[in-house]
Amino acid sequence: MTPLEKMLQDMGSIREDGSDKFFAMENNFANGPRLFQFGNTCYCNSILQCLYYSVPFREAVINYPTRTPIENLEAALAKNLHYQNPAANLEAEAQAEKQKASTPQRPGAPPNQPQKPEDKDSPEYKKKMALQTLPLLETTNNSASYGMSESLFTSLKDIFESIVASQTRIGIARPQRLLELLRRDHEMFRTAMHQDAHEFLILLLNEVVANVESEAMKHPEKSLPSTENMESSQQSLSSGSKTPNTTRWVHELFEGTLTSETQCLTCENVSQRDEIFLDLSVDLEQHSSVTSCLRKFSAEEMLCERNKFHCDNCGGLQEAEKRMKIKRLPRILALHLKRFKYTEDLQKLQKLFHRVVYPYHLRLFNTTDDAEDPDRLYELYAVVVHIGGGPYHGHYVAIIKTQDRGWLLFDDEMVEPVDKNYVRNFFGDKPGLACAYVLFYQETTMEAVMKEQEQENFNATMAELNLNETTVKQNGFASPTGLSHVYSASQIPTQDEPHRFTGLKRAPTAPQLPTHTEHIGAEAAAPHTPTAVLPPVPPIPEVNTRPLSPKKSDVQSKKERAKEEKERKAAEKELEKQRRKEQEARFKESKENQRRHEAEMKAAMEASRASKADEDRRNDSGKSGGLSRLKRGSRSFSQRLGKDKDSRASSSGLPAVPNSDNSSSSNMPPEPLQPLSPQKVASPETLLVPQDDDPDSLKSPKGDRSTHGKWRSFSIRKKSFSMLS
Amino acid sequence: MFVLPPPPPRYTVPVAYAAGASNGMAVPVVETNNIISHPEGGCPLQVGEGTYHLKDDLHLATPPPHPSEAPVINPNPLATGVTPPTSGVKLSLVQVSNQSKAPIYTLNGTATAPLFGDGNPALVAPPVREGLKRRKPKNNIVKSSSSFVSRVITHESLTKRLNDRSPDGFFAFANINRAFQWLDLSSKQKEEPLAKILFTKAHILSHDINELTKSSSHIDIVMGSSAGDIIWYEPISQKYARINKNGVVANSAVTHIKWIPGSESLFMAAHANGQLVVYDKEKEDALFTPEMTSSSAEMLKSSGRQPLQILKSVNSKNQKTNPVSLWKVANQKITQFAFSPDRRHLAIVLEDGSLRVMDYLREEVLDIFRSYYGGLICVCWSPDGKYIVTGGQDDLVTIWSLPERKIVARCQGHNSWVSAVAFDPWRCDDRNYRFGSVGDDCRLLLWDFSVGMLHRPRVHQANARQRTSMIVTNTPLGNRHRADSAGNRVRSDSQQTADTYSSYDPTVRHPVEPRARTALLPPIMSKIVGEDPICWLGFQENSIMTSSLEGHIRTWDRPREGINEDYYDHTSSPAISASAAASGSGSALGDSVMGSL
Repeated sequence: MTPLEKMLQDMGSIREDGSDKFFAMENNFANGPRLFQFGNTCYCNSILQCLYYSVPFREAVINYPTRTPIENLEAALAKNLHYQNPAANLEAEAQAEKQKASTPQRPGAPPNQPQKPEDKDSPEYKKKMALQTLPLLETTNNSASYGMSESLFTSLKDIFESIVASQTRIGIARPQRLLELLRRDHEMFRTAMHQDAHEFLILLLNEVVANVESEAMKHPEKSLPSTENMESSQQSLSSGSKTPNTTRWVHELFEGTLTSETQCLTCENVSQRDEIFLDLSVDLEQHSSVTSCLRKFSAEEMLCERNKFHCDNCGGLQEAEKRMKIKRLPRILALHLKRFKYTEDLQKLQKLFHRVVYPYHLRLFNTTDDAEDPDRLYELYAVVVHIGGGPYHGHYVAIIKTQDRGWLLFDDEMVEPVDKNYVRNFFGDKPGLACAYVLFYQETTMEAVMKEQEQENFNATMAELNLNETTVKQNGFASPTGLSHVYSASQIPTQDEPHRFTGLKRAPTAPQLPTHTEHIGAEAAAPHTPTAVLPPVPPIPEVNTRPLSPKKSDVQSKKERAKEEKERKAAEKELEKQRRKEQEARFKESKENQRRHEAEMKAAMEASRASKADEDRRNDSGKSGGLSRLKRGSRSFSQRLGKDKDSRASSSGLPAVPNSDNSSSSNMPPEPLQPLSPQKVASPETLLVPQDDDPDSLKSPKGDRSTHGKWRSFSIRKKSFSMLS
Repeated sequence: MFVLPPPPPRYTVPVAYAAGASNGMAVPVVETNNIISHPEGGCPLQVGEGTYHLKDDLHLATPPPHPSEAPVINPNPLATGVTPPTSGVKLSLVQVSNQSKAPIYTLNGTATAPLFGDGNPALVAPPVREGLKRRKPKNNIVKSSSSFVSRVITHESLTKRLNDRSPDGFFAFANINRAFQWLDLSSKQKEEPLAKILFTKAHILSHDINELTKSSSHIDIVMGSSAGDIIWYEPISQKYARINKNGVVANSAVTHIKWIPGSESLFMAAHANGQLVVYDKEKEDALFTPEMTSSSAEMLKSSGRQPLQILKSVNSKNQKTNPVSLWKVANQKITQFAFSPDRRHLAIVLEDGSLRVMDYLREEVLDIFRSYYGGLICVCWSPDGKYIVTGGQDDLVTIWSLPERKIVARCQGHNSWVSAVAFDPWRCDDRNYRFGSVGDDCRLLLWDFSVGMLHRPRVHQANARQRTSMIVTNTPLGNRHRADSAGNRVRSDSQQTADTYSSYDPTVRHPVEPRARTALLPPIMSKIVGEDPICWLGFQENSIMTSSLEGHIRTWDRPREGINEDYYDHTSSPAISASAAASGSGSALGDSVMGSL
């Protein structure tokens, strides 16, 4: 049994709000023949998990515009939720072993490695086991059932809804459709290269806003009935969380307002300008805290020399003092730590391993005097961790505080409960190159915090009392086991519960693991007689898998066993057939995909080679493909803006997201050899940015900016730019 | 000027060692020496009264891991294994002669405050026969065969050095990694430890010297380890005793340890699991079972919100063995505690962000204050016992008033978590206070505040009336929710605390004061003093000392009186002007502070 399963043992009945689902996300990269279809998608997985476990965001996504009718979902789930066949797995495993033994796949690995028992604590092993044992959840496009056309939002909604609706608590979701759409619309994510999780987050949020709003524009009349529906659907929900009744729910959650106050040093006139942000990107300093990074973000800054301020009052360019403060606080504060910094000397991005500490709770010091609720308390609920030495490779995982199960580590196919202190391993000073990269703080109240602490104290006390009374139990695992008492007390599982739960979902778990490695050898010889494997037939044998009665199987008579064996074999053959068919189909599909992908790859490689050569000529060792373009844009951008700290904030359009220039980007014409003057390098879209941020535009009154289009003004794109610069 | 030989290879950081080992690199296992250096340019601290000059930087050597007990390093950065706690270098200083003490302040009722456990006849110490030597621990640490202590290295001329030294000089005891060093700061060769204890695995996290029993032939030290074990150590005879062996009383790391003021043998240890335990150095351990009446057990079950669970009271009749008393404060790590100068109160800070003020003689929690956000890390009392200063994960140093039972000011200036705070009793009088703070940002900050300045009503005039009424209300009764906050604040709930507790509870739970209504104090001096986080700070009559995570012990000499005026008149550094603004004209403070908010 995995630690996660152990933790979920006494969860009671499945909840409707999805808060008790702990699905891993599949990373295609690590998964056999579909290998390069999407590249390493951990950036996507970690962000999706962070969003899923934001209660208001999840509720909003599944409830907007309406929930998918449960029949549709169930039908889709029946089709798409694949329970694994343990025997099949073992067989596949055995075959894989065989293959490995005959042809050592990894050239670097010693040839005798397959014989060695695998390290069961390695994440690779755990992921492999998870993939083999947990139900796989594919999501299909349900967008028609709630009357939207397919988009990134609908694919996100489909993933969330099917996880919520599934009858198992754990499994592996496959965010395939979302990735397909992402790559369809965004050139940048089309390559198999390492992607930036923060950029993905911002893109996803912007896309969700755009999808939702464009949909609302299309059907203005639909908004009314949908809210009604929502209300009714909300009544069925036990949790009193908010449902979206406008299209502005993303704004309401992530959006805040920054005010830049500029004081002309000549006439002392203060001018203000408001900007909207979806997240804050903060510069890092060695040995600092996020509190201090945020304060630095709002520190005063002199506009002088080449960067003077055009004062309306006294007319002409003047020296000025500028500072950015938060006027409206977001409900979810996404803090992006700029770990990747462009270094002038090396002419490339470098990862900063500064020690930046982050507390479990946060308030913002850099608010304006008129800000509403300036003392709002935030609690850390998710951390996206980047592991690796540089910006062009590495791995992302997410560590997330769930509603009532403490902190969990989400590493693609692996989900594991972790200690609360584990969250602090990623300040940046520990060996192993793992650093926090994006921090998600959600609004909370002191009351809620105290309640939680009291609960913790209470549970600990109870645990201690129990310990003293029984004196048998050890203190068990580190995760807040105490919480379980609360639920187990009130919710005694019903009679059919354990059957339902263990019958289907737990089949291939605990008892198998120990026998597993021992039998690899034997199975390799005779793959069709995996003797010690427990039958997948639900009711009777499942009792055996109950962890509390491991010896029961020994008590069973031989006859019974023989009978079971037969049954099992029959069932196995049946399943095997099915699986073969499925596999064939999948194989065909994947081959198709692969072929298509190869073509794409070739094109991309071609392009990147071209641009690489181009860049080499310019002594610029940047990335190829979409990002190189991006980077160049950003560099010139930052050069042009000079010290204008505006670049920290977000006011730009969506320059780097090539949402409309598919044609031009597919084969990536290398940028002409030119000095890095912004006007020439930047594409027409990016050109908007500097204009927008030209100090001159400061004189334009507040509301003026709406002309740039509604959702564009939100983009924080420029921030990720400055991250690059 | 003499030239130092090139330093031998050394582990700069324990972390670096770990990184090296985990990458499969060869890490030299060499025992290295402490190094003393005089950094070029020094690190002058400029304040109103003059300039503190850096005297030297003593870098303690980090010992290599024990050969047989080398920590297992998992190369996977996501490994979920729990690493045992460790601590940066902290110092315990002692001067065996009683000649120059910190200035004495008039305290209310020092004479009347009874000693801890005085009411319990079972705790009456056996009469000490006059003229006899003090009791030493039983075991010789040098010849110890304990698996807990790896080995002890004493200086070859230890006795000679002890005989030759002046009794006015300071001894320093310092923990670094698994080592514990005994240094003589008055010695010419102060980088050479008088003795060095190497533990097998455990790291010492906190230690304290008994001021009452010290003499030139006897020093009582207690140290708490990451394993939970406590060592009572007498360095001059090199004897020791192990208390809470294998965590038999409280099985959790000792985060802070202090002798109970006025007691020869009782000391208090804070454990990481939230337990506060009083031990007697002379007593044997016994397996601890909570001593609870059935009703108190019921109460435990009924609520987790009790501010203190007395699992064994000091008034318990059963005092043959340790612990003397055992309280569960919370299920959170106790980061530090401090006894008030009047020996009546105890200030405890916890990882959950609370500051709890206890009447520890009566075993009652009086007040619970909350940090602005995040955990609290360190705490200390003003020399007159009127103020408590805390530092925490909100990067703030916070001043609290004991008699008024309220927050006084928040001090903003650190760029990271505040790891230690201390008052400078030589620069405090009955109206003005000087204290310092150090933090993970490698900075040392000095602060001045004065009574008049802090009691002025502040910016929000409308709130002033409300405030004063709150100050006066010292009674625990009554719902003290601010009526005015509802008007101008939509989300007033984010400041609310669970204030609606039953009335028999003697504890007052104070809500978090909003930023707009709390004075903000700027530092008079802020200086980066090293390249690694600073974790300890101490003021002596002639110096300021800090110690850092990686083992740098820095000492600054106080400005000499003669130069004093010079600096005051001729320098115009911003630090000085800031100090003038802060301590001199009170009115400047509020405005400038509010402006920079």
